[in-house]
Amino acid sequence: MAMTRTIKVRVNGADYEGTAEVRKTLVDFLREDLGLTGTNVGCEHGVCGACTILMNGEAVRSCIMLAAQADGAELMTVEGLAKPSGELHPIQESFREKHGLQCGFCTPGFLMTTYELLNKHPDADEEEIKEWLSGHLCRCTGYQDILESVKLAASRLRNR
Amino acid sequence: MVTPEPKLPSELPITQPRYVGKDSPRMEDPLLLTGKVEYGNDIRTPGMLHAAILRSPHAHARIKSIDTSRAENLPGVAAVLTGKEVKDWSRPVFGVPEGWTGYALAVEKTHWVGEPVAVIAASDRYIAEDALELIEVEYEPLEPVVDALKAGSASAPNVLEGKDSNIAYDRRFVFGDVDGAFASADLIVREQFRWHRSSGNPIETCVCIADWNPFNGMLTLRGGHRSPHLILPALVISLGISSQLVRIIQSPLGGSFGVKTFARYVVLIALMAKKLGGRPVKWTEDRIEHLIGNSSHAWDRHYDCELALKRDGTIAGMRMQLVDDLGAFAEWLAIGMLLKPLLCLGSCYHIVNVDYSCKGVITNKTPQGPLRAFGLPPHFWVIEQLIEIAAKKLGLESNEVCRRNLIKKDQFPYVSPSGNVYDSGDYEASLSLLLSKAGYDELRREQQAARAQGRLVGIGVVSSIEPGLTGPPMLALASPRIFSRTSSPEGILLRIDAFGKIIAELGFPPGGQSQHSFVRQILADYLCVALEDVQVITVDSLSMQPSTGPISSSMAIALSGAVLGAAARLTDKLKRAAAVMLEASADDVELFDGQLRVRGVPGKSLAVAQVAQFMMARPDLLPEGVDGNPQATYVWNPPDRTIPDEKGFGRYSVTAAGAQHLCMVEVDRETGQVKILKYVMVDDCGVRLNPSVVRGMLMGGMAHGVGTALLEEYVYDDKGQMLTSSYMDYLMPTIMEVPAAQEHEMCTPSPIAPLGVKGVGEGALHTTPAAVLCALNDALEPLGVRITEAPMTPLRIWQALQTTTSHQTKE
Repeated sequence: MAMTRTIKVRVNGADYEGTAEVRKTLVDFLREDLGLTGTNVGCEHGVCGACTILMNGEAVRSCIMLAAQADGAELMTVEGLAKPSGELHPIQESFREKHGLQCGFCTPGFLMTTYELLNKHPDADEEEIKEWLSGHLCRCTGYQDILESVKLAASRLRNR
Repeated sequence: MVTPEPKLPSELPITQPRYVGKDSPRMEDPLLLTGKVEYGNDIRTPGMLHAAILRSPHAHARIKSIDTSRAENLPGVAAVLTGKEVKDWSRPVFGVPEGWTGYALAVEKTHWVGEPVAVIAASDRYIAEDALELIEVEYEPLEPVVDALKAGSASAPNVLEGKDSNIAYDRRFVFGDVDGAFASADLIVREQFRWHRSSGNPIETCVCIADWNPFNGMLTLRGGHRSPHLILPALVISLGISSQLVRIIQSPLGGSFGVKTFARYVVLIALMAKKLGGRPVKWTEDRIEHLIGNSSHAWDRHYDCELALKRDGTIAGMRMQLVDDLGAFAEWLAIGMLLKPLLCLGSCYHIVNVDYSCKGVITNKTPQGPLRAFGLPPHFWVIEQLIEIAAKKLGLESNEVCRRNLIKKDQFPYVSPSGNVYDSGDYEASLSLLLSKAGYDELRREQQAARAQGRLVGIGVVSSIEPGLTGPPMLALASPRIFSRTSSPEGILLRIDAFGKIIAELGFPPGGQSQHSFVRQILADYLCVALEDVQVITVDSLSMQPSTGPISSSMAIALSGAVLGAAARLTDKLKRAAAVMLEASADDVELFDGQLRVRGVPGKSLAVAQVAQFMMARPDLLPEGVDGNPQATYVWNPPDRTIPDEKGFGRYSVTAAGAQHLCMVEVDRETGQVKILKYVMVDDCGVRLNPSVVRGMLMGGMAHGVGTALLEEYVYDDKGQMLTSSYMDYLMPTIMEVPAAQEHEMCTPSPIAPLGVKGVGEGALHTTPAAVLCALNDALEPLGVRITEAPMTPLRIWQALQTTTSHQTKE
């Protein structure tokens, strides 16, 4: 039988411990074992970016990582953005205001990359934003409103 | 029955609409933004198993034997389904014309690379995929049919067993005096065009969870099904199940673009559930399966066309012969994509003499399936390219030829060659707006300057129309038995609860089109309540009213009709109840600004919620015929459609939105890479219920069109092997390829559709490929090169550039 590992992770500030086969992908572990289904799977080969989460503050594609690789890491998923009171994160608010989503399936990935981008480069200009978002596919919006959403989020976070 | 529909938002029973016609936050967003929405793949039901599908590695092969014993013995595997059971338990998958499909699973032979051959159900997806590798299939490869132009010849092997040819559909439609028009023309241009297949590629793949209970016979289906009304007949036909035993519970969709019917796979997973005897099983398609096997490819076309013109540029007639490679089956409603051009043969140009032939050919490729824009983008591209070629020969500016032929404002309602009616428009004004907003003359000067420096810069200006709400009448030309219908029902249930809040139940799920939001906007204005006081939900297939769902740029039209019809019926009830409370005649009571009031008697009024609560509390006081239930249903149907006659003459759709696009590109001489320098759109989709939502549809359609024009293509080799089975090879447009487009509004309200709306979901995709491709050919013009193939990938452009270089060297 397949080998298993015990995996300890901190996700969105809460500690989890689970057992997973060594071949299990990180996204499957998050979705199936931890019940965090906000992270979506779009292509399972690391191109579309829908499954993007933060691992120790950096955006990673959870579909091409193994759960075992995340052992001991601090993860953040889309579920970690808004406050339990219902208050959306400024990035989420900006996407809502600028119509940066339609079907919403790719959105969690875009949000997580944006989170890292604006953490590290709060003054990112349009070209930098595009560079960062170029690893994400969206079929609904045509990207323009996503770009505007990120720009609005950047200005809000700067002025916070 | 006449729909009591306000023709414009200003006619809603409110002093001034507060929401309709304005941007308004979407009610779908909070769950989508926080990861709390439940997509199909997020669902887990107790005892649920996971399916994986073994697929054919051969384009055409006989299955000599299948040995599943090793797979069945793998711990965790619950069942293996093969062709034998599928043949015993089902009929071939639904498609028109009838008789040109196979079973949901290959039975005796395989017809394309990726066709399902066996299904495994196991305790998890990993084990199911392990087990696939343990199935041993012995294939005898057969000669594949991969060239659509040769597939119809007598020497080609037949793809489908029991058929004596590979031509599933062959029909010619002639309108007007085409021969006469060509005989008296001053110029005839002829060109061949090739459009390769691509597809919708929603970022969410298909998901189906099936549970077939052996004790009560109920088949319960969960997942991302865009329209139960459309899937149900396919299930009944293939599975032989009674319709009342099927319950489809719809999840929100992570995009569809036509793809999320996937009836073949719903049938297949249902059959696996049958084998499992009461254990639910989930299939989540992976991306490779989606790319090779989804039956969602579309438009694999060879065109041979002629355009006849007068010296002044007036188009006298058009001949169009089209061969479309349908893939292995004429599956589902794919044939409709060959017929939809009948609705708008001349695009937005006044062309009265048209000869249109379309042939649907069967080959050993993935079957075609419905795709957003349903066959029109290649049609409009071909027309625009023919006009450009002709304009150059006539020594006229192509814009001028276009303008001369545009349908004029005073020709509306315009009866097109096939009898289909365009409701309203002002295409000349739209074109003028486009050219002025884009700064067209200046762009041409910039182009000249760039060309003087040896740069390859081009401009394309194109037009198209978007027929809103098509459906059965068109399909009657492929299957009169099934589709001799004028209906496309869209129904809702509207009710007021015990606390006076408003609830609307729709029959199809959200998938990016924002219908929950705009239904809420309309109801909040109609009943003059806050947005927050209106709830909109999707109900399952056993609870819903008849509903067609979001097909064919229909949603805003049909759903507005349904909402307004139900609101009018509910208002009628409320009026009669209010008449009792106000001691007035029901005929004197009206609804305005959320009050039931007695006409001409100021101060005598009651709030909607108050009347509804009275109805529920005191049914004993209500008049004859009014029950104690403040709810109403309404099923809207398109007015004025007809079933076409044998010549193809009929009224097929409801609205006609118009689109004009301008694209400016630069081609890199060295690499063939294309950069879009400018993109401007004008769209006339009538009244915009929520401008942001409309803008989103247009921008998204434009992006999809950029991919279609430049990047996306399913490539097969000469053995029928698909070479583009991942996103490394099938290239989707990213933020780097999609331009920052400008979008400008024109509005000629529909005189037919409720609230003056028109369909808008497909228009940008109709137009963008033509705009980009015309701009590209304009860029290449100084080299004497014209590419008549789409997509114009960097490789294709580079190859074309090489031919000119070698040509020049030789000279």
